Amino acid sequence: MTDTRNHISVTVKSFATLREVMDAQISVDLPQGATIRSLFAELNGRYQGLGGLIFAGPDTLRDFVNILKNGRNVEFLGRLDTHLDDGDLIALFPPLAGG
Amino acid sequence: MDGYAGKMAYADLSAGTVTIKPTPPELKKLYIGGRGFGIRLLTDMVDPKIEPLSEKNVLVYAAGPLTGTGIPLGSRYEVSTVSPLTGTAMSANSGGVFGWKMKKAGFDAIVITGKSKKPVYLLLDNGKAELRDAAHLWGKTTGQTTDALEEELKDKSVRVSCIGPAGEKLVLFACIINERTRAAGRGGVGAVMGSKNLKAIAARGDLPLKVADEAQLALVKERVKKKIEENGIDKALHNFGTAVLVNIINENYVLPTRNFQTAHFPDAENVSGETMAKTILKRPKGCYACIVQCGRVCEFDDEKGEGPEYEPIWAFGPDCGINDLKMVARANNICNEYGLDAISAPATIACLMEMAEKGYIKHPIRFGDAKGMLKLVEQIAKREEIGDELAEGSFRFATKYGHPELSMSSKKQELPAYDPRGIQGYGLATATSVRGGDHVYGYMISPEILGAPEKLDPFVTTGKAQWVKTFQDLTSAIDASGMCLFTSFALGPEDYADLLSATTGMKITAAELLKVGERIWNLQKLYNIKRGFGRKDDTLPARLLNEPLKEGAPAGQVWRREEMLDEYYTLRGWDREGTPTKEKQKELGLA
Repeated sequence: MTDTRNHISVTVKSFATLREVMDAQISVDLPQGATIRSLFAELNGRYQGLGGLIFAGPDTLRDFVNILKNGRNVEFLGRLDTHLDDGDLIALFPPLAGG
Repeated sequence: MDGYAGKMAYADLSAGTVTIKPTPPELKKLYIGGRGFGIRLLTDMVDPKIEPLSEKNVLVYAAGPLTGTGIPLGSRYEVSTVSPLTGTAMSANSGGVFGWKMKKAGFDAIVITGKSKKPVYLLLDNGKAELRDAAHLWGKTTGQTTDALEEELKDKSVRVSCIGPAGEKLVLFACIINERTRAAGRGGVGAVMGSKNLKAIAARGDLPLKVADEAQLALVKERVKKKIEENGIDKALHNFGTAVLVNIINENYVLPTRNFQTAHFPDAENVSGETMAKTILKRPKGCYACIVQCGRVCEFDDEKGEGPEYEPIWAFGPDCGINDLKMVARANNICNEYGLDAISAPATIACLMEMAEKGYIKHPIRFGDAKGMLKLVEQIAKREEIGDELAEGSFRFATKYGHPELSMSSKKQELPAYDPRGIQGYGLATATSVRGGDHVYGYMISPEILGAPEKLDPFVTTGKAQWVKTFQDLTSAIDASGMCLFTSFALGPEDYADLLSATTGMKITAAELLKVGERIWNLQKLYNIKRGFGRKDDTLPARLLNEPLKEGAPAGQVWRREEMLDEYYTLRGWDREGTPTKEKQKELGLA
């Protein structure tokens, strides 16, 4: 755990083809008040090519991309403005199908 | 009409005869093919009062007009019958190459009635059909049977759809396997085949398959190919197979674990598609005309096989508390060889595991015991020792020992790999499925978890009834057309309608396509009602309605049936008991 007065630490897990461009699991330190948007600002700096797989435009996710915060799709929280807390688990999925 | 082989074979096993007749135009128009053909023929021919394993049951193989005409993912065929597991009007779907070969051999459908005195197989051969002795095949596995028929017919191009020992032994969830590893998996269609002493159907031929408008079909084919490639699903399915779902379902906290006691498996990564790709995967493989290739050829140690797919991975893995992918793959291979449904078999074992752990039955098996699980799979297939009781399915087994609540089934068919407590619309789809516990009769996982065609909140019940109805109707039509259901992640009703119009010349609209699907759905429902099904059966195990999930985002939730069921019935034009009204029957041409 980090100093939660100034920073938070979140765990980010990637799956399927996203692992071609980023680590399967990393810990990311972010300032207090961070959101999914600021998380990606950090991740895009670290991983070339990730942004193109996740975003269709500056504020638009690609179709069928899913981002979960602690098991809940951010689509039903605050989307890119979803607030992050220390210890959160973020899971990133590219378009998937199956059954 | 084009797109059809033009003939159907009627095999009367009691008389030992095969009659060939033209495929009726009215059947094509109202039911398209595949599941539509099977359910119409079945419900016309079989008295609802019969026992499914009696000689009075009928088994229908049917391909669709889009099967085998070179359309991407147009490979499927359906096997329809009255299920010995559920008692419902059942259809089970399979891919591979067999459906195409059946049509190249000259047949849109095969209708099998009666019971042979001795084991036989049916040979479809360039427009001819004949029954042949199969005494030498009885007792053989599906792979051995296929090898023997290729050898006997001196033809490697022959395609074989057959049962294994489980079908012969009338295991209530025995399946039918074509090309050694592709399964018409659910509902015990293999047991019905076994009850008729029919070991296999072998198809070969090279008859032409015409389409109505080749130029138009080429345009539509190009359009659907582009849509499939551009929506991104094909890459994940190609690279990781259907097992790519393990992690996303687990991360949503809806991966049923240890017989649905929880919905999160800490070791999910060990049995995931990502791990498979790095370890036991040899190469991807596709069905006829497939551009996705989600099939998995896996090899390790002394083991070779295809799969496991997502559902068996879940059922032999997390649902049995097992985190060893190789053991899961071995169990899946046994199911393919013996001809067992690789959902119901492991889900029934998971039921036994919970009963044994709770002391409701004296048996050494426990969750996580992979070796014990493998032994049980073989015992079920051979009906040996406790396997003889498990071969009746989890509901009958658990009921026999006084704990029906531990069978995770609906209409006596074991539920698939998703916990409805955290996916409300999926729960409604599986509870109302006209074939019993199921995921492919209306795949609500797509909008509620995968976000396609749009993201629906899985915790919400509002609006789900309409989505479920639309998905169920569309799926019925896709199953009738001969297309793979996976195309529905990328295609909409208008795409299937355009493919059918160009192929058959029928000029069908998207609305008419959905109407065909609705007709098939209602026909199955009406038949089930005659067999005693009603509102009481459109439900899920008590655990899912009463015991809240404990972990992750859906913690505290149960499946909320009553918030959706009446709305669903109303949208369907059914009364409060779930019976289609006279007006609805008339509208669909079923009155």
